Amino acid sequence: MTAVAQARPKPPSGLRRNVALLLAALVVGWAALTIDIRLGAILEVPGGLARIFGLMFLGKGPEWSYLGRAVEAMVESIWIAWIGTVIGAILSLPVGFFGAKNVSSGLISNVVRLFLNAIRAFPEIVLAIAIFIPIAGLGPVAGALAIGIHSIGTLGKLTAEVIEGIDPGPVEATRAVGGRPLQIQRWGVLPQVLPEIVAFWLYRFEINIRAAAVLGVVGAGGIGFVLSQAIAFARYDRAATAILVVVIATIMVDTVSGRVRRRIIEGAEARAVSEVEQPEVLVPSRP
Amino acid sequence: MIRFENASVVYPGGVHALKNLTLEIPDGQMMVIVGLSGAGKSTMIRAINGLVRLTEGEVTIDGQSVSKASGRQLREIRSRIGMIFQTFNLVNRTTVLNNVLMGRFHNTSTLRSLMGWYRPEDVEIAMQALERVDIVEKAYTRASNLSGGQQQRVGIARALAQEPKILLADEPVASLDPPTSHVVMRDLQHINRELGITTIVNLHFLDLAKRYGERIIGLRAGELVYDGTADQADENVFRDIYGRSLTADDILEAAIA
Amino acid sequence: MTAAAPARTSRPVKPRRSMAIPIGLAVFVVITWLALSEQFGIGFDLVALIEDIARGRGILAELLSPNWSFVPRTAEPMIETVQIAILGAVIGCSIALPVSFLASRVTARNRGVLGVTRTVLSVVRAIPDILWALLFVAAVGIGVLPGILALVFFNIGVVVKLLSETIDGVDSGPIEAARASGANGFQSVRWAVLPQVLPNYVAYSLYAFELNIRASTVLGVVGAGGIGNMLFTQYRFFNWSNVSVIVIELFVLVILIELVSIQLRRRLV
Repeated sequence: MTAVAQARPKPPSGLRRNVALLLAALVVGWAALTIDIRLGAILEVPGGLARIFGLMFLGKGPEWSYLGRAVEAMVESIWIAWIGTVIGAILSLPVGFFGAKNVSSGLISNVVRLFLNAIRAFPEIVLAIAIFIPIAGLGPVAGALAIGIHSIGTLGKLTAEVIEGIDPGPVEATRAVGGRPLQIQRWGVLPQVLPEIVAFWLYRFEINIRAAAVLGVVGAGGIGFVLSQAIAFARYDRAATAILVVVIATIMVDTVSGRVRRRIIEGAEARAVSEVEQPEVLVPSRP
Repeated sequence: MIRFENASVVYPGGVHALKNLTLEIPDGQMMVIVGLSGAGKSTMIRAINGLVRLTEGEVTIDGQSVSKASGRQLREIRSRIGMIFQTFNLVNRTTVLNNVLMGRFHNTSTLRSLMGWYRPEDVEIAMQALERVDIVEKAYTRASNLSGGQQQRVGIARALAQEPKILLADEPVASLDPPTSHVVMRDLQHINRELGITTIVNLHFLDLAKRYGERIIGLRAGELVYDGTADQADENVFRDIYGRSLTADDILEAAIA
Repeated sequence: MTAAAPARTSRPVKPRRSMAIPIGLAVFVVITWLALSEQFGIGFDLVALIEDIARGRGILAELLSPNWSFVPRTAEPMIETVQIAILGAVIGCSIALPVSFLASRVTARNRGVLGVTRTVLSVVRAIPDILWALLFVAAVGIGVLPGILALVFFNIGVVVKLLSETIDGVDSGPIEAARASGANGFQSVRWAVLPQVLPNYVAYSLYAFELNIRASTVLGVVGAGGIGNMLFTQYRFFNWSNVSVIVIELFVLVILIELVSIQLRRRLV
């Protein structure tokens, strides 16, 4: 403890942060004030929600005889999501390799990343409306293609990032034994990244289930179509059935996929740990 | 006065961390607890502020039971006991001053602590605590930017800001190098002598225990096996407490000596 | 030297290969075959698809020549799109912050509250954003309000899941210190947990906002405001050059927002 008196420091100025917050607040304020909403409409929200909830779940309740139709449509949505994810996964793997700076050249990887960003910018519905429905007509194939192409964008970016994050050691080793380029990728890079990439594919599948449900709204097959028709004809009992089917099916897929993902990641970690030798620690004791 | 009466702690899984401990700690004493890992040192210290609940027996402070208190009563008791930790337990992402001000929580309303609007008197107390441990110039520095020794001093300041009657230190220097360890232990000793705060410290470095402790107690397998002054404690005493020969790990200055 | 040294231990037996991978692959093939088939699945016919692409050349030509005179008509709906995304994000992420604490086992002491929150969260997350919009349009009528409400629920689902998982992984040291000094539950959460997760919260909120921009472009398809409605109408009327203009604008918007969000991330974290 010193005898000299210590000068107390001054509090720092939070200027930069406050300016950023102020700008954000201004933007939000502009959005709130210039948007076209009747104030009265906001007050009517709880009433409207209660009314719909009542029509759907109270009184006679959901129409159970509609269950078969709803499940059939949901299964179609799941197929759409599956095919879309498969297309996305298979095509994104090589694209991801080309998009990784440490594996392919700087120029190629930049072009590929730009291309992937371009694809990612379009929501699946837009791709469906603008490209795939005009080409393949209404129906599930257009939906699967729209989801597939969009997934290449997201999965390609994630794959490239994972590849860029690898430990260069094993790659160097495969190069040192004189491996050819494809061998280097297959044995030096792939083993490190495959578990994580497969986990991404499964996660993408979970998201694509929701996208597939949505695409039905524009006629690309699946439960979205069923739901929007039910609401259009004010058959809220059928809508209730459809919603229940969507929720339960999605939760089921999420749970199964989540478990498989965890198993894959845990399996990879366990293997990594057992490969590292544990050194022994010796403590000398005094005689 | 802190009093343990037949205090026992059995963890789920069957581990007897504390066995029938009966002990009195008078006000203003500087007591050091030594013992092997797993001997019950951490458990005993945490029983004083109720972070660990007794399975049997009682701990009282000035006649008020800690082991039976809960909720608001327990928080009231804790506000008068400062604690410092081996891993410092600072909030890394915020400033030193905000960390020390956590010591004023009990006297700050929920609303004030939500917004961070501490009263000027509380800020003054925090600043004085920082001055006492010689680190006030870092008041607005992010906690993660400090060295280990500096972080522990902030931990001490946080405890001091509570204006406590009791100070608990759980292996305060285990993560620090020898010179810094001495600085921290000296600070604790000064605080004990100048402010009269009952100070209880867990240590596994025996030379530090002898040098800075007024009273030393030894725990082995949850039982009290030694209770005496620092002068009386010599190598034989420590060997009894540990139940084995002493090694280089038990002395802080072994590498230098 | 090629002479073999005397063996100290006998050679190990080659372990049985785990059956997980072959089984996984088999499951994958079966599901994919089912999904592609005409009977059970979507009836994916590669040949017909290629024929369709050839036939669609006319449409493609129109898509590639955007009708720039259409742009002024798109201005107002585009602005509306951005507004919906902003308001949905602000309201949704604000609600998500306290709810996240209820959804994490570190900060939610009461098991009942934890369970209920997590269940409700699962249900909210199982409903895609546009289906929320459908429901809200049915409940409150068309306009921007159902769009904002839909995005609020969507954001809560996304942010609470991410943030509560972050809170689960928080360092418990500072929490112990807060408890030891007599802080109540609220103070511990505010000063020992929140500072640790705040950067994550900002990042997740910005991520939710980016998702919102993409979502709000299409909410209009069901009548929930924004450019989606105009996009859908033009598509219905086969005005491909107008469709193409809107798509280009959407692309520009998304890129702009990503740039803005990168800047914001740097300043606020």
